Amino acid sequence: MSASSGVKCRPSRMVAAWLLLATMVAGCAEGGQQAPAKAPDGARMPQSQVVMFGAGSADAGERLYGQECAFCHAGRNTGTIMLGRRMDPAQAELHKRTDLDADYVKAVVRNGLVNMPPFSKIELTDEELDKVATWLARKGPR
Amino acid sequence: MAAVIPRRISPAAFGKALAAFRAIVGSQGVLDSDEDRQTYIDPYAMGDGLDHDCSAIVAPATTEEVRALVRVANEFKVPLWPVSRGKNLGYGAASPAERGNVILDLSRMNRVIDVDVKQAHCLIEPGVSFFDLYRHLAEKKIPLWMSTPGNSWGSVIGNALDRGIGYTPYGDHCEQICGMEVVLPDGDLVRTGMGAMAQSAGWQHYKYGYGPAWDQMFFQSNFGVVTKAGLWLQPEPEMTAKVELAFPKFEDAEWAIDLLADLRRRDVIQHNIVFGSPVRAASVVSQRAEWYDGPGAIPDSACEAMIKKLGIGWWNAKVSLFGHAATVKAQVEILRALFEPRIGKPLNFELWEQGDAPDKSARGIPTTVGLQSVNWYGGRGGHLSFAPVMPSDGKLILDYARKIKAYYEQVGQDYYASFTIGRRHVNNVSLILYDRDDPAMVTRVDKLYRHLVTEAASHGFGEYRGHISYMDAVADTFDFNDHALRRLNDKVKACLDPNNIIAPGRNGIGTRPA
Ligand SMILES: Cc1cc2nc3c(=O)[nH]c(=O)nc-3n(C[C@H](O)[C@H](O)[C@H](O)COP(=O)(O)OP(=O)(O)OC[C@H]3O[C@@H](n4cnc5c(N)ncnc54)[C@H](O)[C@@H]3O)c2cc1C
Repeated sequence: MSASSGVKCRPSRMVAAWLLLATMVAGCAEGGQQAPAKAPDGARMPQSQVVMFGAGSADAGERLYGQECAFCHAGRNTGTIMLGRRMDPAQAELHKRTDLDADYVKAVVRNGLVNMPPFSKIELTDEELDKVATWLARKGPR
Repeated sequence: MAAVIPRRISPAAFGKALAAFRAIVGSQGVLDSDEDRQTYIDPYAMGDGLDHDCSAIVAPATTEEVRALVRVANEFKVPLWPVSRGKNLGYGAASPAERGNVILDLSRMNRVIDVDVKQAHCLIEPGVSFFDLYRHLAEKKIPLWMSTPGNSWGSVIGNALDRGIGYTPYGDHCEQICGMEVVLPDGDLVRTGMGAMAQSAGWQHYKYGYGPAWDQMFFQSNFGVVTKAGLWLQPEPEMTAKVELAFPKFEDAEWAIDLLADLRRRDVIQHNIVFGSPVRAASVVSQRAEWYDGPGAIPDSACEAMIKKLGIGWWNAKVSLFGHAATVKAQVEILRALFEPRIGKPLNFELWEQGDAPDKSARGIPTTVGLQSVNWYGGRGGHLSFAPVMPSDGKLILDYARKIKAYYEQVGQDYYASFTIGRRHVNNVSLILYDRDDPAMVTRVDKLYRHLVTEAASHGFGEYRGHISYMDAVADTFDFNDHALRRLNDKVKACLDPNNIIAPGRNGIGTRPA
């Protein structure tokens, strides 16, 4: 069973999202042959701030991102390092991305992607996931 | 995906059990669709993970709900596999040992019930993660520190129940637990230690109570579901110092482990010390192909390249000091005098004093950066950990490391070792990294793990913690007097849990015949 099976494609936007997802999976299968990792560090926020990401934000989506996603996707963490291997490292932290679509975020969260495990509905309810996805897509394509 | 139901239960009876579970926790608290069950498959499973698939997930929000669920489980003979957050990566994550169990996911029970700032302890529920507790302490500016494991995504209680470890003076996590609330397999509720008094003036300051202390019975076992526990926290010290020690040669393990273990026994070093090989360091910052892209195990020449490029040693240890400024400064000088002449380089300590940025300190700050290591081979990665307990003797450990490294090379997997140095023991964490979708590699990994179990046992070394696929294999190595310990465990199990409904097979206890 692959990490990306079992998703029901809904709106047409999902098709674009799936193409992107498929490219990423394929890219990663060759992960070993890719350019040496340039661990994106330098200006990265320190871990003590990553852990507090979004605390006190008025936006529930940002707060939830801080609690459920930032530990991998902010600062110099696993998600940032892995994404930094196959895209512009400056955008490798999810909250800096300008190309995220809410449906795509939801599909990845529920199905996992390569080394990212899926999140259950107990960990993140559909309602909560909506908020995270909307917040992450705030700078994305409309 | 075919429907999975617990063993020896009819689909109709299982349907009734699920309806009864829903009546207790609401429909949102019971998941049984294929998509939802898929989110509980071990992300590091070797292959598709369906051999440990669950039949459903039930997520209570209160202790009373846990009690009611356990009663229903008895009525319908539905086995429950409790997890606190279920992030037991490397040991099976949330998946049950026996296919078809219902996962009892306690992650909705996530309250920090109380923190006693003066006496440095707290009372928490199982769903509280290391991140949750850190944020709670930081937001309330409470000057108490916690210990965190290398992967801090999981639960403070869940990790302690598997005897997990961290790398500060509070790093033996099971030792910090003080007072537990447990739902027994028949639905009864007990509190241990001083919590056994209904009007107790507190149960987080003394561990033992009156009569036998049962707490250990609930670690690495299946004798109950823990619904609350007390945890001791570390009062913020005045100063910390941290330093990385790099030992250039493989043979340095002998003297270095002897010296570090002596400092650990004397409490100059107050924490478990990790002593790791080059692949351990390289796998967090790079991928294998950057060093070697050929078949078989990674050659020594590639490890030499890592040592040069990453500025590390063949063995690498992080040491931290905690205490009053005068003590820490004195201990820094002790370490300099002991190590600098032998390593031939000055040690580079980073000091932290109260008021400095948290990241400079040696406190535990939760992190998941170590998860990066499973991307070593590329593809969907995973790891398996075999960590036998050994006496802390440098020569014994060096000889054993040589033998195990040779076996990794013979099988064709990259040698990744670390030795976690405790007061009187060393855990040889032999990590096995793999690409879970490469069947040939998965076969090699299984062979390697089974060999390590037998090889360690032939030297008298036993594993400290078990992976769901090998719980019986490991339990079998504890074979004094024809497996007297297993007989005792199974007797206790039969007495407390006659229907065998809590985590059958956990650590080889109550394993059902195939
Ligand atoms: C890269 C990497 C690094 C790691 N580093 C470390 C490390 O340094 N130290 C370390 O200890 N681990 C480490 N781990 C292993 C693991 O990820 C952690 O131990 C993690 O904390 C375990 O998950 P959890 O806390 O969610 O526990 P759970 O998965 O919730 O619990 C573990 C087991 O305990 C039992 N259990 C849990 N809760 C209850 C309950 N309430 N009642 C009864 N039984 C219960 C169950 O059998 C369960 O399967 C590492 C893993 C990886 C991948």
